[in-house]
Amino acid sequence: MDIVEIIIGVIALLMAIRIFLTRSRARKLLYLCCLSFCISALIALYVDSPMGGIVAITYFVCSTLSSNAIAYTIEQAKDIE
Amino acid sequence: MEIVEIIKVVVAGIICWLNFVLIDTYFGLPEKPGVLGAKTIGEKIRDIGGNIHGGYFMGNIVCSPDASAGTLLASIMSYLMGVEGGLIAALLVWIGNRLCADPGYAGTIGALTITAIIYLLSPIIEAKYFIAGMVLAIFTIQGFEHKYASILLGKIAKKMNRGE
Repeated sequence: MDIVEIIIGVIALLMAIRIFLTRSRARKLLYLCCLSFCISALIALYVDSPMGGIVAITYFVCSTLSSNAIAYTIEQAKDIE
Repeated sequence: MEIVEIIKVVVAGIICWLNFVLIDTYFGLPEKPGVLGAKTIGEKIRDIGGNIHGGYFMGNIVCSPDASAGTLLASIMSYLMGVEGGLIAALLVWIGNRLCADPGYAGTIGALTITAIIYLLSPIIEAKYFIAGMVLAIFTIQGFEHKYASILLGKIAKKMNRGE
């Protein structure tokens, strides 16, 4: 294992634990964003080819799209309450 | 030579941090929430004692691929394909921005500047270290301590005349 992969992996694990420990839904999204950075980086480092890079970019853009949708829904749900 | 590698990661992290924070602040991320979801996150950060403008900054990072995403994706593509990869990443980040209803200047310019920086520094720090450096940089903002991160981002925004 490379030191670069170890650093990213440790941060990813730490984020996964913090997502479970945080109560607030909005703050979970911030940790989730950091986790998607880690996953996207790990995809690129493991799938060591240009296609891996495209997969990493697609994954990252889609994850921000879904975070966008979730945050929007949280705001709407607050109005309904 | 693990120590040398760790130093390279940390230096790359500092460069990435400055790159994305300065570009995002310049393009006004702390000024207002770009989408409705970013407003919720900003208000939540204010509720735990942070700065609202820092909160908007963090909310905007979550809700749209801006300079932080541009920095990560351009370093990934520079590692895999060289300079051309950085340009492809800039194009894809721009498409992602358009999907999130964002003008998309911050992400594209962030991707282009980090591609130039990686190209210039490639004899000393390889692109691989920039990937880990960017993860480290986003960890200090989004994953470590939201209250103090937002206060720091608010101070930088104030210094650059973006948001009060």
